[in-house]
Amino acid sequence: MNNNLYNKLVDLYAGDELPEELTEELVGESFKNTDLRHDMVSLKETVNILRTDPGAEFTDETFNRILMRMYTKGLEVKTRTPEPDHLQLKLPLSG
Amino acid sequence: MSGEPQYDTFAEKRWLAALAKGDPEALGAIYEIYGERIFRYAFRMLGNRSDAEDVTAETFLRVMRRMNELRADGAFRTWLFRITRNLCIDKMRQHKLMELPADTPYNSSVDRTTLRITVHQALKELPDEYREPLILCDLEDISAKDAAEVLKISVPALKSRLYRGRRALRDKLGGSLERAL
Repeated sequence: MNNNLYNKLVDLYAGDELPEELTEELVGESFKNTDLRHDMVSLKETVNILRTDPGAEFTDETFNRILMRMYTKGLEVKTRTPEPDHLQLKLPLSG
Repeated sequence: MSGEPQYDTFAEKRWLAALAKGDPEALGAIYEIYGERIFRYAFRMLGNRSDAEDVTAETFLRVMRRMNELRADGAFRTWLFRITRNLCIDKMRQHKLMELPADTPYNSSVDRTTLRITVHQALKELPDEYREPLILCDLEDISAKDAAEVLKISVPALKSRLYRGRRALRDKLGGSLERAL
């Protein structure tokens, strides 16, 4: 197999798009070809790191801050989640 | 990357129909469904929490204003991501003028944190034509077909950029990735 074809197969392998039979064949080939093996392992790891990235935290505060920004921009939005405390009118405590 | 494009669910369609009539509860429901994904996508594009929050709010404002542009058979999700993308591009242009610093990304623990920070730094340094497919397909798990629609390119073009982008990122990571293997 030439390098160009290897590259295409490794691209598909890294993205889990290579059919099982071809994957087995490619893995088998990688035991005989260290450059191919390195290409496969490093590219697969790169994709794995991206796919398992947890992303930015989206907390209730984030949700409410964005909601506040929408209100500020003049949007009328009603959510099923309770309104943030600072938007609720507080009654004086009796006692 | 998911193999199949994702279509609007029945519930979403019901909310979208209500939204077209200006129902504020519908906008709230759509925000509850998509707010987090849109925020995460904006954050990945911008690397700045405050800007990502602003873009998310602005996205829903545009949704409300431009509901008439959404075709009945159109995928709402794709349209939503396209609006967010355009807003992010506007913000990035502003940043280029003002050179605002990006937030330190994420708060995950253990050894991979350093590598993740390196990955995010390397991702930022990639050309947009590689960075955007990586964000949509690998980080946001959007199908190739939907990502191609968001970027207004063909699926083969999207895949070509995605594969080249992965290799470019891998090459940028170099030694950091070697140590992690």
